[in-house]
Amino acid sequence: MKPEARSKQEAASAVMVAQYSGACMIVLLLATLCWGLLPHTGYLFSALVFLMAIVLAGTRWNRGPVILMAVLCALVWNFIYIPPRFTLHIARLEDVVMFVLFFVVALSMGHLIARLREREEALERHHQEREALLAEKHRADLLAESERLHRTLLDSVSHELKTPIAIIRTALDGLGEGDPYAAEIATATRRLQRIVDSFLEMTRVESEALTPRPDWCEMGDIMHAATTPLEPELRGHPIELTGTEEMPLLRVDSRLLAQALGNVLHNATVHAPPGSSIEVHAALAQSQAGQGELELRVRDHGPGLTPDAARHVFDKFYRAPEAPAGGTGLGLAIARGLVRALKGDMTADNHPEGGALFTIRLPVQIHQTPP
Amino acid sequence: MSKAVIIDDEAQIRRLLRMVLEARGYEVSEAADGTAGLQEIAFHRPDVVLLDLGLPGLGGIEVLKRLREWSEVPVLILSVRDQEAVKVEALEHGADDYVTKPFGTAELLARLTVIQRRRFTRQNPHISSGPLTLDLLHHEATLHGETLKLTPIEFSLLKVLAEHAGRIITQSQIIRQIWPTQASDASEGLRVHISHLRRKLGPTGPRLINEPGIGYRLVEE
Repeated sequence: MKPEARSKQEAASAVMVAQYSGACMIVLLLATLCWGLLPHTGYLFSALVFLMAIVLAGTRWNRGPVILMAVLCALVWNFIYIPPRFTLHIARLEDVVMFVLFFVVALSMGHLIARLREREEALERHHQEREALLAEKHRADLLAESERLHRTLLDSVSHELKTPIAIIRTALDGLGEGDPYAAEIATATRRLQRIVDSFLEMTRVESEALTPRPDWCEMGDIMHAATTPLEPELRGHPIELTGTEEMPLLRVDSRLLAQALGNVLHNATVHAPPGSSIEVHAALAQSQAGQGELELRVRDHGPGLTPDAARHVFDKFYRAPEAPAGGTGLGLAIARGLVRALKGDMTADNHPEGGALFTIRLPVQIHQTPP
Repeated sequence: MSKAVIIDDEAQIRRLLRMVLEARGYEVSEAADGTAGLQEIAFHRPDVVLLDLGLPGLGGIEVLKRLREWSEVPVLILSVRDQEAVKVEALEHGADDYVTKPFGTAELLARLTVIQRRRFTRQNPHISSGPLTLDLLHHEATLHGETLKLTPIEFSLLKVLAEHAGRIITQSQIIRQIWPTQASDASEGLRVHISHLRRKLGPTGPRLINEPGIGYRLVEE
């Protein structure tokens, strides 16, 4: 039991003790009072006084003490007041009837009033719970609303930025190949599209609007999804993929992972000399049944990272001093953001034999039966 | 001559698509919103519809739902990136395929051609797609004339994919066709069978391309 629950229970039992002893005290007090008044009022008066006390107690106390009080009152009244006094024996028939009636009325009064009060309390409690629930819901609604607004804003900005690019792209296709001017516009459009995509993606990563939707997939699917959008860039950089043969099915959000991997590959195409290969090595370490860690190492044959670059390469807008013009410095920041959204992490190093080496590590579920 | 209806709220996109399609011999009519689009389709009885998902007012999905109440015309969805959930919803509501803006003209025309091919009818017990032939009569699949050893599930999986050759088919559409009574999530089983099937098709067969978050596409090499 939790400590606060225990202290609560202790407090409740203390209240009960107080009420029970209070009930006895009041009966005693009233009995004495009525005894004093007996010569002036007669013994029926005391019965009414007792009843009133029970009703009043019922409005304050719990059922148990009230019923105890009702029983005590009936007995005390019988014992002290109903002739013959100081016996529980009742001589006259009308007194017997009176006693029984008193007993029944006192009990039911005590019972009914206590029940009424309990109902009231329950209603009050219910009301408070409802208030709390409503407040909770209101807060959740507000949060959802702000998320929705954010989403809508992002969507509309995204639409506004992408539509002109789509129009330029389609119009360029209409111009046909071979025109050197058109080719320049096409290159610039691709670059613009990349920038717009990066900014939107960065916003999405930073707003934590990314909810991974893990599903079973093959490593080949991830590679395919990562490389397809980079087809023009990768034409000059053959990818040497190792470690994926015989790899079992993995459960991971392949879309997010492919996007992260794609950004790392794109970075390699920017920094490595044309024609140089990009090595991608995948390794799977099983930690326990069905769980494990996927490691993806991307190595290029470029100049590698300076110590300063290695420190800052994942910073937003960081651009290596020798980097060719035309990047946003967002690609790797996004990649790491995506990998972190997948509960993994990413590091940047230099390969001992030269070239930059990026390592993505993330937890995955591993399919058990070998494919 | 094929007839096409373009439903997109961007005038420039409509104009460009019209030029692209007319150059390919299509007779084109256009609409700027869903309601007008449905009227155009009812009036012109097109062979193919290009539908933008981000329409103002009557949204793309709603247009699709209403259209499918009375028409089986092939529909190509025009969408922007990162709308996987909406794309899946559109495909589940009867869209035939999608392209993501900004798209290349070649890609757009290729998709249009594929979805306009007469849909598979049960008249013919053979399905062929490039070097692949499925004999539904004998439950036999051949690749380059050689018989493939497939399990019954792999055969029906290949059949579903080949029926939609070149077209996207969502994961749940595949699952519904192969395991119609399956209530639980069958995606794991599907992935396992796809992986087996890919091995059996080998490097020379058609490729089963996964589009993350959406589904599969059988592509002839």
